[in-house]
Amino acid sequence: MIELLIGFIGASLLLYVLLGGSDYGAGILELLPAGRHREAQTKVINEAMGPVWEANHMWLILIVVILFMGFPGIFTTLMVALHLPMLGLLVGVVVRGTTFTFRHYDPIQTGPSQRVYTWLFGLSSLWTAIWLGIIAASLNRGIIDPAARDFWTAYMAPWWGVYPLAVGLFVGCIFVFLASIYLVAETENVILKKRFARYAAIFNCLVILTGGLVFAASMTERKSLVTAFLEKPLTLVAMGIATLLFVALWIFIKKNRPVLTRIVAAGQVTLILIGWCLLYAPNAVITATRPLSFYNESAPPATLQQLTIALAIGSVFIFPSLIFLLRVFKTKSSKRVSLLTEHPIPIEDPE
Amino acid sequence: MDDLIAARATMGFSLGFHIIFAAIGMTMPFFMSAAHYLYLKHKDPIYLDLTKMWMKGVAILFAVGAVSGTVLSFELGLLWPGFMKHAGPIIGMPFSWEGTAFFLEAIAIGLFLYGWKRMKPWTHWGTGLVVGVSGFVSGIFVVAANGWMNAPSGFDWVNGMAQNIQPVRAMFNRAWLHESIHMQLAAFQAVGFAVGGIHALLYLRGRSPEVNLKALKIAMTFGAAAAIAQPFAGHFAGQSVAELQPAKLAAMEGLFKTQRHAPLHIGGIPDVETQTMKWSFELPGALSFMAFNDFDAEVKGLDQVPREDWAPVAVVHVAFQVMVGIGSAMALIGVLYFWFLRRDRFPHWFLRLLVVFVPTGMIAIEAGWIVTEVGRQPWIVYQLVRTKDAVTPVPGMVYHFHLFLILYLGLAVATVWLMKRQIQAVQREEGA
Repeated sequence: MIELLIGFIGASLLLYVLLGGSDYGAGILELLPAGRHREAQTKVINEAMGPVWEANHMWLILIVVILFMGFPGIFTTLMVALHLPMLGLLVGVVVRGTTFTFRHYDPIQTGPSQRVYTWLFGLSSLWTAIWLGIIAASLNRGIIDPAARDFWTAYMAPWWGVYPLAVGLFVGCIFVFLASIYLVAETENVILKKRFARYAAIFNCLVILTGGLVFAASMTERKSLVTAFLEKPLTLVAMGIATLLFVALWIFIKKNRPVLTRIVAAGQVTLILIGWCLLYAPNAVITATRPLSFYNESAPPATLQQLTIALAIGSVFIFPSLIFLLRVFKTKSSKRVSLLTEHPIPIEDPE
Repeated sequence: MDDLIAARATMGFSLGFHIIFAAIGMTMPFFMSAAHYLYLKHKDPIYLDLTKMWMKGVAILFAVGAVSGTVLSFELGLLWPGFMKHAGPIIGMPFSWEGTAFFLEAIAIGLFLYGWKRMKPWTHWGTGLVVGVSGFVSGIFVVAANGWMNAPSGFDWVNGMAQNIQPVRAMFNRAWLHESIHMQLAAFQAVGFAVGGIHALLYLRGRSPEVNLKALKIAMTFGAAAAIAQPFAGHFAGQSVAELQPAKLAAMEGLFKTQRHAPLHIGGIPDVETQTMKWSFELPGALSFMAFNDFDAEVKGLDQVPREDWAPVAVVHVAFQVMVGIGSAMALIGVLYFWFLRRDRFPHWFLRLLVVFVPTGMIAIEAGWIVTEVGRQPWIVYQLVRTKDAVTPVPGMVYHFHLFLILYLGLAVATVWLMKRQIQAVQREEGA
């Protein structure tokens, strides 16, 4: 039963990173200068993300609900010790969730209001992605101390430091990388395609660079990532394959095979995530005194049973609906017609 | 402001903010689907315009509801870890169902908003309906979780710990039914009147009268029907509270002394010091009858409750009066609405009255939640866990409060501004 629930949390986390993560990435992309391509780029992003925006966001809520129902000890420990990063995350969620929608539904599609939306959306996407990374990094540093009472030890130290920040930047780069790869296939505009492919290349390098930074920063931690990885060889295999897949990725990009490119990129991120989870499994959190494992911190069996039933029945509704959603919007045969903007996207750059 | 008050203020403010958008998200898709249905059925383009107009409103308000709802799911833990530690395993079940329903709603809204030319018309219409239905269902689940805080069940309380947990029994606690009927009707009532009133205003200003009249009729039919049903639901809720939480009923009614033939106070301000009710109009025996269907039944007063366990009596009583007062007026307007609808002619004074009633439903919802939540104090789980024992140990909650106050006020201003821009744009289009 607990394994099933861990599976649900893992799957939700993975889907949040792969689907929701690319939404963050697209937002961060919009912070970069785009010159005269700004409008066209925004339009592609709106049309690619609009239909799936709310659904992609749900995975995060699902994780929260599974945690507080099934693993209340883990949930409350995190919400107390990581109160401040959670607040940072929430402020970002509010700002980006509203600015993205407001931008699309503002009847005035040009001028300063659009620039403000885009700027706020981009900034809050970057901000939130970094906090997500900081929270992820803070889970297993062994600094969270539920017994501590002074402000620094209890509420600052758990997430403060170079290492969490490095993970935050790494997560941000992964998100932009994913977004660029996805966006290449979302437009017929050759110039934009090239732009997104270039972003994919740049952020691919940045992923490797910030990944190195994460490893370097972890040397200052109680337990460095190198030691942790060496203890669990399976995680090394996952990371190794993820790195090697870059070769395949570049071949597919060069040969213009968008579907394969997406699969490989998503596969890489999946492997990184699996590697990271395996590093600490079956612990969700490692506090200063003891690890909080999913097995020790679970709710009573009756609760877990009901939770599993709810998730199983929920999946019967949700997955077919999701597949329908993706079929309607993400298949080539479906016409790209936007309701609110009747002008088709120019196929060729006018100049 | 101490940390407990700050945490309560944050929670109250976040809930009060979210409930407005949640009410809209649960009900407005039904208005939209009704208009869409009429368009597909009769091919009258006015209904298509109306559907698209409402759709944009739904999209904007849904987004605000979704993010403020996300905030709440975190705040349960950020503000009340002592509550979630006990309550999570017991009432997580309605939340997990709510999550499922909301997930479907999120998928359906993507399909509906962006799917106009990608699906068969009736399939597309169906996705719009799913938005409404799943939103409506998710509302019921959340209210069921609140019901458990008022009427905790489905576990044994042994030495300050919950044991022998039965999540199904906890979900179908004794308060879930009356609370959810009351709330879901309130949502239709408040949103129906708000939307109807806005279209009444536009109609009175002579802006595209045909669209606005049709819009008014759809919204007000939902709103008026709910408003007429609401007093019955409210009566059912009141009787349940009398049985389950006599202390809350006593605070609502400002009844200090336990008595037979208890009077109903209309208006008035309870004075806790002298334990008397000032400036109220009394209906002898009416409270006994309302609570127990018997003019001579005994109604428990606040004297049955230890002084330190009293809820803030004045706040609860005034909020209750506001809710009942508004609800009664809206029920009356609901009856008038159907009267004029049958004659198919709305006099201008009635339309002006509807404009006045744009915000009242929402005010009543806020007042009603103040009655429920403040009326339960000092308990977070009725008679088991005190609110002060559930609050987070994190200090400086006042900053947390100010942060969300500023964030939400900014968001409220932006939302109103954008909705106004939307309405102006639609009017311009039609003027052109």
